[in-house]
Amino acid sequence: MIVSASVALTGSYDYSEVARSTLIAIAASYAALDLAGRVTAAKGWVRLAWLSAGATAMGIGIWAMQFKAMLAFRLPVSVEYHWPTVLASLLLAILASAVALYVVSRRKMGPVEALTGSVLMGAGIAGMFYMGIAAMRLPAITRFSPLLVTVSILLAILFSLIALLLAFDLREETRWTLRRRMGSATVMGVAISAMHYTGMAAASFIPASPPELTHAVNISPVGNFGIAIVTFIVLVAAIVTSSVDRQAKAEVQRLNQELERRVVERTLQLEAVNQALRNEIVERERAEKALRESEDRLRLVIDTIPQQIWSGPPDGSLDFCNAQWRSYMGLTQEELQGEGWQRMLHPDDRELVLKAWRESVANGTPYEREARHRGADGRYRWFLARGVPLRDSAGRIARWFGTNTDIEDRKQAEDRLRRVVDTTPAMLHSARPDGYLDFFNKRWLEYVGLSLDDMCGWRWTNAIHPDDVEELVGKWRSSLATGEPFEAEVRVRRADGEYRWMLHRKVPLRDQAGNIVKWYASSVDIEDRRRAEEALQEAQDKLAHVTRTQAMGELAASIAHEVNQPLTAVVTNGDFCLRRLESAAPNLDELRAAIAEIVNDGTRASAVISRIRGLLMKGAPRRAELDINEVMQDVTILLRNELSRNHVSLHTDLAPDLPRVFGDGVQLQQVVINLVMNGIEAMHGLAHRPRELVIKSVRSHNEVLIQVQDSGEGLNPEQREHIFEPFFTTKPQGIGMGLSISRSIVESHGGRLWAESGPNGALFQFTLPAQMGNGVL
Amino acid sequence: MTEPATAVLVVDDDPSVRRAIKRLVESVGLQAEMFGSAHEFLQAKRPDVPSCIVLDIRLPGTSGLDFQQELAEANIPVPIIFITAHGDVPMTVRAMKAGAIEFLTKPFRDQDLLDAIQIALERDRARRQRETEIAALRERFESLTPREREVVAMVVRGMLNKQIAAEIGTAENTVKVHRSRAMEKMQAQSLADLVRMVERLQIPARKVS
Repeated sequence: MIVSASVALTGSYDYSEVARSTLIAIAASYAALDLAGRVTAAKGWVRLAWLSAGATAMGIGIWAMQFKAMLAFRLPVSVEYHWPTVLASLLLAILASAVALYVVSRRKMGPVEALTGSVLMGAGIAGMFYMGIAAMRLPAITRFSPLLVTVSILLAILFSLIALLLAFDLREETRWTLRRRMGSATVMGVAISAMHYTGMAAASFIPASPPELTHAVNISPVGNFGIAIVTFIVLVAAIVTSSVDRQAKAEVQRLNQELERRVVERTLQLEAVNQALRNEIVERERAEKALRESEDRLRLVIDTIPQQIWSGPPDGSLDFCNAQWRSYMGLTQEELQGEGWQRMLHPDDRELVLKAWRESVANGTPYEREARHRGADGRYRWFLARGVPLRDSAGRIARWFGTNTDIEDRKQAEDRLRRVVDTTPAMLHSARPDGYLDFFNKRWLEYVGLSLDDMCGWRWTNAIHPDDVEELVGKWRSSLATGEPFEAEVRVRRADGEYRWMLHRKVPLRDQAGNIVKWYASSVDIEDRRRAEEALQEAQDKLAHVTRTQAMGELAASIAHEVNQPLTAVVTNGDFCLRRLESAAPNLDELRAAIAEIVNDGTRASAVISRIRGLLMKGAPRRAELDINEVMQDVTILLRNELSRNHVSLHTDLAPDLPRVFGDGVQLQQVVINLVMNGIEAMHGLAHRPRELVIKSVRSHNEVLIQVQDSGEGLNPEQREHIFEPFFTTKPQGIGMGLSISRSIVESHGGRLWAESGPNGALFQFTLPAQMGNGVL
Repeated sequence: MTEPATAVLVVDDDPSVRRAIKRLVESVGLQAEMFGSAHEFLQAKRPDVPSCIVLDIRLPGTSGLDFQQELAEANIPVPIIFITAHGDVPMTVRAMKAGAIEFLTKPFRDQDLLDAIQIALERDRARRQRETEIAALRERFESLTPREREVVAMVVRGMLNKQIAAEIGTAENTVKVHRSRAMEKMQAQSLADLVRMVERLQIPARKVS
């Protein structure tokens, strides 16, 4: 063994070969990286195929680079190669490549795998290299620098690790893969070359005996070139295949991605739709919940409001009754619906209710009716049932809705009121603002023996006396027009056919705005009162007559005197005439004068008698226009004797041109007689001053005032207070009716009668309304 | 029948009645005068002849009955015939008591009135006669001296001369002188005559007392 460097063969490098080998290394690296991606991408047997094919291509590449590099090293000696060893190194390279591809193509590459892989791969590459060295057949002994060998092995492992990391990192195809792969491949190729040349540096060839050349071949430049070409072809084929596959894969992947994208897109869309759907469902659920709540609330409301509610189809049957109704009836919905509700109707109402309801259903008019409904307890209560049709857009009735309102309390109140109205001993009725009489109470109807229908509106006029109708209707219309309260006395035909006087009064009820909303009226049978009044009037007339008669009785002496006076003259004159006629030559002038006097006095007597007759006559009062002065003069004539008998001097002071008054002469005479007689009476015991009576008539405004003043003691307050009361008298023989009757007479004439008391006796005076008609005023 | 003038005084407030009565009265040849009231009557100058009053009870102002009383008090003793349209018993009684000749109710029979008038006039005539005599007596009586009247009064009362003398404090003879002079003046024929005269005069008793 020659151990000396100086003796070692000096080798030189064919740098073009070096470049080529490096190029091959780079190409192989690229192929390896590329294939690693493929192996990773593939699965199953395809993966195995890719692994084998890739490992083969890569192995060939690595091997070719190494072999090329070895060929680039030119030694001054002929070098031959032992081809089985070369083949073995090639296999080793393929194996190492397989390990590397396997490692990098796994899903995960932890530090252990990376390290193990890189050690195996590095060992493989180093083994291949040293096997290549070992395959050299040259006349030299190969020596190795252990340091450089170790370095080369470490480098191989290190580079393998780098390569593995790069390949693992770059196995996925990304956008920058190609460029990064190229970069990585360059790094790896250079690294492999570096390892190789380090290894080469570790070996030195010491010339020695020619080697045993069995199985050794000489690698010619052509062979060398062929290796390179084959290697490239293999590598290119591998790369192309890989590329095609990758592209196919990429296409598939693109398609897959497209699919995936679309799937994702569709998924997203679906998701969006789903979301929308979910939202909608949530919304719908919410709405449904709200609706349900609303419905529940509504149902709660419908079922709990104190009102019976129902509804039904247009045919008039019922299909819904609320809880209130059901519980009132104690029946179920099923029992009530259809025509079941009709069983609650009071037998007396049933026909009318059903008729009205059928009419409403037929005509589509709102239904409203009060009727008795039987409750669960079997008792009937009054209800106001109302129904209205709900129409669709075409105007057809879609449904009926209705309510039943319990009006029992109102009805009872009404009944009570009706009972009051009907049993009150008064005849009541009412009218609308237009004058239509719309109500008569029971008393009214019983009174006339007619039904409400016979009386309503204006039909009541049939019950009025034909002579009174026109005036009554006129008055009623006028009240309607003016709003003034109405009052009239008319005869109404009672049920028995008798017409009886009635007093009707109507007053308007107004709303806040003052509009008349109703007239309320009462009617009173005043027939009896009227008769009583007439009887009273008659009695009063009789009494007046009696008092007149009595007064006449008291005046009998005066009256007799008054009649006897002219009679005396008559008789005396008559006697005179007779005497004269008996004489031989009667003086006719004398006789004529006497007879004329007789006639005068006869007339006078007759006048007095007729006056008295008037006062004594019993008859209906007759009123006429008259001169009150004449009345008073008549009275003074009648009372002249009475006055003188009582030593009363009479002063009359009658105003001329007095307006006439409308009255009953006899009654007014009675008043004056009464006052004069009272005056005479009042002065009866008067001794220390003259008895004077003043009778005056005065025109006062639109009245005539008559005064009778005596000079008696006057009236004390008590007398003045009671003097006009019936049966009040200060006279021993008086019956106390005189002034009372006088006052009623004066008042019936529209005047006043009163008394005053002065220092000079009592003053009685009365007024009478003046007649305006004849222009006296 | 011819001469002795008389007057019928008619007091009635009714002119018609007044005129009728006047006519009737004059138809029998009597004079009638008419008055409407008592007042009017008193105002008028009445003829100094035998008269009577036809008086209506009812008169304005003073009534007939009151007027009767007034006349009596005024010593106008003219007989009164009342006529009244309406008389009653108390009225009649009062009138008659007061000396009325008649109380006639209107209308009266003419003869009744005329008869009453005749009676009344006769009575008035008699009264007037009597009054003339009494007037003469009074004149004679007035001619007596006071002492003579005194003595006459006592004589009439039936006192004796002696008693009278004692009474008045003179001698009995003096009384006798007074007495005889008085009898002479009075133209009395006897004591009885004197007594009658004094009674007619109706004065001495009062005068003395």
